[in-house]
Amino acid sequence: MDKSLGVIARSVALKLIEKRPEIQLICPVLLNTGDEKYENFIKSTKVIVIDGCMTRCASKLVEKREKKPFKRIFIPDMSKKYKIKPSKELTLNEENEKLAEQIMEEISEELGKVEVKQVLKSREFEILDFFEITVDKYYFKVPKEGYYFNENDCWIKPEGKTALLGISDYLQNAAADILFVEFPEIGSEIEQFDDAGSFESSKTVLQLISPGTGKITRVNKTLENNPELMNQDPYQRGWFIEIELRDFEEDKDLLMNGPDYFEYMKEKIMKEKNHIDQIKSEKIV
Amino acid sequence: MSKSYDAEKETFMGVPRKKIPWWPIIDYDKCNFCMECDKFCSHNVYAKNNDEKKQLTVKNPYNCVVFCRACAKTCALDALKFPEKSEISKLIKKLRSESPGD
Repeated sequence: MDKSLGVIARSVALKLIEKRPEIQLICPVLLNTGDEKYENFIKSTKVIVIDGCMTRCASKLVEKREKKPFKRIFIPDMSKKYKIKPSKELTLNEENEKLAEQIMEEISEELGKVEVKQVLKSREFEILDFFEITVDKYYFKVPKEGYYFNENDCWIKPEGKTALLGISDYLQNAAADILFVEFPEIGSEIEQFDDAGSFESSKTVLQLISPGTGKITRVNKTLENNPELMNQDPYQRGWFIEIELRDFEEDKDLLMNGPDYFEYMKEKIMKEKNHIDQIKSEKIV
Repeated sequence: MSKSYDAEKETFMGVPRKKIPWWPIIDYDKCNFCMECDKFCSHNVYAKNNDEKKQLTVKNPYNCVVFCRACAKTCALDALKFPEKSEISKLIKKLRSESPGD
């Protein structure tokens, strides 16, 4: 920090961590000594580089580690952009303080856009093509593609290394209005056919019996306030948990695809219908 | 939903249900015969019994839904045990490989 530009860079960094406590400051001097903690941290996270002057020490330190920064800030460019000249002193004057503030806001806004994009991405669902059947007053559907089922009426939708899990339309119909959900712990490991949480309806308590093996990475928190999504949209917005898959090819051995599950489900529904019809007719007789 | 099964014909993942040893085991040292599990289960797995020491029995073991342990959650005394899931899935895979196409 031997130049006023460096002092502005430092101020931007400090203001940024004050506004966004999730950001961690990396000391370039310590990084240069090859500190292991920083080395690992840089590998696993987004890096914002703030260079004060032309020597661009911070950029060089990151480039040496073959890391592409998420955002690069060069104070002289910013000074031109916001039309604020750096002072000649090593203490920040009011104008430079303002410059640091504006740069910080710019970075923060960009980070915000990424977060919004990620949130939107997780909420976007494609339009599904369904197999459908109506029995008496009940309507059942099963996605034609992308979903795998166990005979316990729970589904898994692999998406690369992770997968979403939930309950089938048949199970939500059988459960009736779902009122409460209980999630498993994030980070816990589950085996195929383990209980992966439960849900309570006006009629019963049921468990999600996991069609896959892996580590629980996310739970659908929205269901805590809107459990009815499991009834209204069991295959998409009503997803229950996300897992990091261990070996989906192995899981698949004991799973059915959409067309097979639809046949299985139809058979199950018809058996129940026949049974109910039989009871009704016995009562009439 | 009321359920009725013909255990002779039932299959689970293509394996005859009767070849899969999945049903609750009652620990009579713990059970106080509150019958909550019986009330909960819609598959008629349990039944009441006149035997004073075994007032609750597993009457229809093959009605039990393979991998379902929901009734155990209703048991405050933890008197219901099920087989190891991993052992059962191993067995199912083995039986399936022995009779492909079934």
